[in-house]
Amino acid sequence: MVGAALVEDVLDDHEIEVVPVIHTSGNAWRLIRSGVEVRIADLLDKESIAAALRGCTHVVNCSRGDTKVMLSGLRNLLAVASNIGVRGFIHLSSVMVYGDPPGPDSASETAATPRQPIASYGGLKLHQDLMVKGAARAGMPGLILCPPNISGPYSYFLNAIISSLQTGSFALLEEGSAVCNLVDVNNLVQAILKGLDGCTREAPRLFVTDDEDTTWKQVIDALLPLCPGAPEPMSIERGDLVKLREGFSPRHRINLLGSMKHLVSSDVRAALRKDPLLARIDGALRGAVASLGAAFEDKMRLAVEGPIHIARAEPMRSVNVQLSGPQLRGVRHSCTQAKALIGYKPRYSFANSMEAYRAWFRSHVGQNSSSWALARYLWP
Amino acid sequence: MPQEFRLALVGAGLVTAGSHLPAALASTRVRIEAIVDPAVERAGALARKFGIKPEIAPDVAAVANRIDGAVIATPNHTHKEIALRCLDAGIPVLVEKPLANSHADGLAIVNAGERAAKVVAVGYCLRFWRSTTLLKHLLDEAYFGRVRRFYHQFGTVGGWVPLSGYILNRQSVGGGVLVVTGTHFLDRMLHFWGYPDGVHLADDSTGGPEANAIASFRYDRDDGDAMEGKARYSKTTALPGGLVLETDAGIVTLGETSDSEIILRPRMHPELCEVIRGRSGQPPKDVFLLQLEDFVDACREGRAPRVTGREALESLRLMAELYGNRVQLIDRWYGQKAEVTWASA
Repeated sequence: MVGAALVEDVLDDHEIEVVPVIHTSGNAWRLIRSGVEVRIADLLDKESIAAALRGCTHVVNCSRGDTKVMLSGLRNLLAVASNIGVRGFIHLSSVMVYGDPPGPDSASETAATPRQPIASYGGLKLHQDLMVKGAARAGMPGLILCPPNISGPYSYFLNAIISSLQTGSFALLEEGSAVCNLVDVNNLVQAILKGLDGCTREAPRLFVTDDEDTTWKQVIDALLPLCPGAPEPMSIERGDLVKLREGFSPRHRINLLGSMKHLVSSDVRAALRKDPLLARIDGALRGAVASLGAAFEDKMRLAVEGPIHIARAEPMRSVNVQLSGPQLRGVRHSCTQAKALIGYKPRYSFANSMEAYRAWFRSHVGQNSSSWALARYLWP
Repeated sequence: MPQEFRLALVGAGLVTAGSHLPAALASTRVRIEAIVDPAVERAGALARKFGIKPEIAPDVAAVANRIDGAVIATPNHTHKEIALRCLDAGIPVLVEKPLANSHADGLAIVNAGERAAKVVAVGYCLRFWRSTTLLKHLLDEAYFGRVRRFYHQFGTVGGWVPLSGYILNRQSVGGGVLVVTGTHFLDRMLHFWGYPDGVHLADDSTGGPEANAIASFRYDRDDGDAMEGKARYSKTTALPGGLVLETDAGIVTLGETSDSEIILRPRMHPELCEVIRGRSGQPPKDVFLLQLEDFVDACREGRAPRVTGREALESLRLMAELYGNRVQLIDRWYGQKAEVTWASA
């Protein structure tokens, strides 16, 4: 999304020649409709990266992928970019490197970045930041931009909120008064373009936001007109959201007894029975247990599987924790540093951004067309 | 019992690996004799993946005398050359949709098939959905009365990554999302109602393959009351796929999956949903298997396949007319009037 918006912006600018580099054709449709020539590279293959970056003076890394791509892929990209003498490397990081929730001092980039597991998004992005900083210290000027959630046309974040509103799974905390950090995609594009001349050996990390005091209520109010027939978002108390969030990412501890029980559980045995030898052994064991009587069999089953658990039909169970949870972040990240260091100035306000998004959404979904009277039957 | 039909799979890409090859292996009437691809390593790897040992050839000429038919599942712009080579060698073909990337190329294939008296079938596999057959029957019987308007849509955020990457090039595709995604419905629309009297297209291409397309259709009727239809396709926005008909009986919907059912919301009771189902209690078969066996039977019985080359030519004609009658959708959203172009499309 950011890469496509950047390319579209730069295609109109004759001072910059842009080379879009993609991994596969599947997600390139927005780019290729312009007829721009794209190069294909696999970040896990240095040769293909070298071919793709041929002739480039600056690199903007908007790539995403699995852990291997994010780490080994970035390592390869940095190595190749450094080898060919790239003059500036801009890396798109995330405010998530400051933790989730971030510390209260992380309004500014000078705050400490807490240790996070590498499996978490924030942990992965933090690890990437360190790699970019390392490459900068070794001689390739860099810049790390940390956007929050990205708004504007094609916004995945806003699309997800709309889906959640439509299904009634979005919960509003404290009447939506919580801080919502946003950056319009084209403001981020402006920051990237400004940053091309702002790469240094320190590879500073900069927040890039819309620089407004936006709340979640404002975001939801701006999106509700796009969700005709959707229920009002449910309200949630802070304690409940915290609890849900903790349950959303449970810490799995190693438990030997639990693992042993799992090994003999009916799920695992059903899988093992696909093998004829193991099926025979399982049959013999079950026969042996059955021969000890129904009461013993029930006792064994209870010991292994535990009692039958019926979840309560609580309304909070349907809350989309991934989307509602960020209301707990509570810190407004400031883009003062980006303004000072690279001359960043948000071009679009929150209101402009949401207006553009709504126009885009209505048009792409067809809500504003005469055929909506029929199309609406295909939507949930 | 007749001998197994010796089949060549031409093209060792995504659709062969995911659909044609599994269908051929599932069929009791077909033997995969050859996999043909200039990238012979890819063809060999595909055979190994499925544990089969067909002949691997870079060109169909190498296996022409050992096969009874060929499935051509290669990039659109290569269909003509490969199909002509097969037909000139007397080999019937099942060509992936669309038949070719231009009407002229499609016509060359159809003419070659008729000259050689060999089957040219086209891979509009969704014709084999039970719901397609049932809806066609219901429409022919005017079960819902008159259809006043129809609407079809299908949209995904990206997706479908052919190994050759040919979709990056408008010339190779023969268009954009209208060809890649929309062609399946255009074929069914022609099947249901014939060729429209007026067509119009709005799309967002500015030189490459369009990512969004909105097509409009008009069918004139004797009583002067035209039936109008619209179809919307996207490779940037997720749109739940399906067809909606506004009929005398009410609103009819049909989703775009193999197990979707025809649902009628009666005009007098729009709060109700009536599911309209055929009698068959059998689970539906894979459409690629049905399509392949239809092709085999057509070759053996000397009959036309369910989707003929001539029918597919009409799709190409319609596509050409749509692209010839296009207006630009503007995709700049800040303080501009882009929305107007979409709302009026």
